Amino acid sequence: MVASSVVGKPVSAMGGFFSMALDTFVAMFKPPFAGREFISQSWFVARVSILPTLMLTIPYTVLLTFTFNILLREFGAADFSGTGAALGTVRQIGPIVTVLVVAGAGATAMCADLGARTIREELDALRVMGIDPIRALVVPRVLAAMLVSLALSATVILVGLTGAYFFTVYVQNVSPGAFASGLTLIVGSTDIFIALVKAALFGLSAGLIACYKGISVSGGPAGVGNAVNETVVFTFMALFAINIVATAVAVKVTM
Amino acid sequence: MTVSRPHSQFPWLKSRYQAVAGPWNDIGVQAKFYGRALRSTFEGVTHYRVELLRLIAQMGLGAGALILIGGTVAIVGFLTVTTGALVAVQGYTDFSEIGVEALTGFASAFFNVRLIAPATTAIALSATIGAGATAQLGAMRINEEIDALEVMGIRSMAYLVSTRVVAGLIVVIPLYCVGVLASFWAARFGTTMLYGQSTGVYDHYFRTFLNPTDLFWSLGQCVALAVVIMLVHTYYGYNASGGPSGVGEAVGRAVRTSLIVSAFVLVMISLAVYGQSGNFNLAG
Repeated sequence: MVASSVVGKPVSAMGGFFSMALDTFVAMFKPPFAGREFISQSWFVARVSILPTLMLTIPYTVLLTFTFNILLREFGAADFSGTGAALGTVRQIGPIVTVLVVAGAGATAMCADLGARTIREELDALRVMGIDPIRALVVPRVLAAMLVSLALSATVILVGLTGAYFFTVYVQNVSPGAFASGLTLIVGSTDIFIALVKAALFGLSAGLIACYKGISVSGGPAGVGNAVNETVVFTFMALFAINIVATAVAVKVTM
Repeated sequence: MTVSRPHSQFPWLKSRYQAVAGPWNDIGVQAKFYGRALRSTFEGVTHYRVELLRLIAQMGLGAGALILIGGTVAIVGFLTVTTGALVAVQGYTDFSEIGVEALTGFASAFFNVRLIAPATTAIALSATIGAGATAQLGAMRINEEIDALEVMGIRSMAYLVSTRVVAGLIVVIPLYCVGVLASFWAARFGTTMLYGQSTGVYDHYFRTFLNPTDLFWSLGQCVALAVVIMLVHTYYGYNASGGPSGVGEAVGRAVRTSLIVSAFVLVMISLAVYGQSGNFNLAG
């Protein structure tokens, strides 16, 4: 009995997750579409994520450019600090910070909100009224997470490059012209495109995990807390794995 | 609920004042909480040793559903493996563009120690141990268990908060070791097995540039981050309000805050330790 629950619980949770994901994809392409909920959820996710985005991008870019410029200076190539900044921001810091924000801020807020509704039995009420909660609540949330994640990724790259510019030029005394001319040396529009595709994937999976955890909440206050905790852990793990696979694929494609 | 107030002089000014003073007072309240938590550390360690040991065991393995996927250790290991593998994937290809792919071992020794291992361990800590502590404490607060503790004469700050901070401080040390080894292993595996670099070349550059002092600083960063993360998470859990949904919100807010705070702590310590020159010598 114990053994069957140890094996059965994660397996049935996985099954539940995939069946919900499938339902979501099917409902996504079938009208009617919950447009109003989509807009309000986009605004909600954007509102909780924008401050963490700015506050995480700036320190991480400073840290990366700082570490990278030490290296470049050692080679006598401080002029290429722009290249390093672009490389780090677009290829690494951009996706990683997007992961952190989407999983740590967006998904947690979404799961907490949906979990609260589940615990107040609002979802059961919807079902009784003949409204499919997947169509009414999950689809707009997943799409909103994707949209906001795209926007956040672009914001992270912009803020990161700006922060790197100020740090490199005013703190580490590299000439602004050299920084600007180095920016596009290695990194081009393909990399930006890949960063955006990655961000959309992050948003999709984070939204799905958060919604699944949110609608399967049970067991009072401790249950809601644990659901949000598990959301953070699972989204981090899924998103880090997606990041490494997407990076490997992108490297193969661009080579 | 809207409350109508017939006599409100300068409502605009008052709301502006509240908007500025509210967050400002919040910072003060948080600082006071952190001060109390740290002050009762000694009490927590001496009086509630059994609880401390229980927490250490629980944090190392994780609670609830997390135990099913291998607990905190497996999560930290998994996250650092993926970020360490990024060094192989990205570093190897970027270096081979300018023909110095032999230096991938150096990139692993340099970036893994200084950036990737501390940052990833901090993120994993905040997601697993930290968010778990917020969820537990929040549920206790909502169920009025914390008030019950106070009534029974148990000092809840020492019993619940300080013990968690100390437990986090102790648990992070083996977790950091797992994390840094996992990132080294992932970078080496990716470079030598997947991209086919000879292990001798990789190991030579890796060993040459692996600086033991940096490793100690990196561990120090992680310990500092663990304390800060546990403080932030216990604050949000201890002061949760608003029923079951309030606990969920508290966990979300705690994760957001601790991610931001840990990023700043990481940068400040890095700048302070490695300095402008970088404490780094390519020549040897």
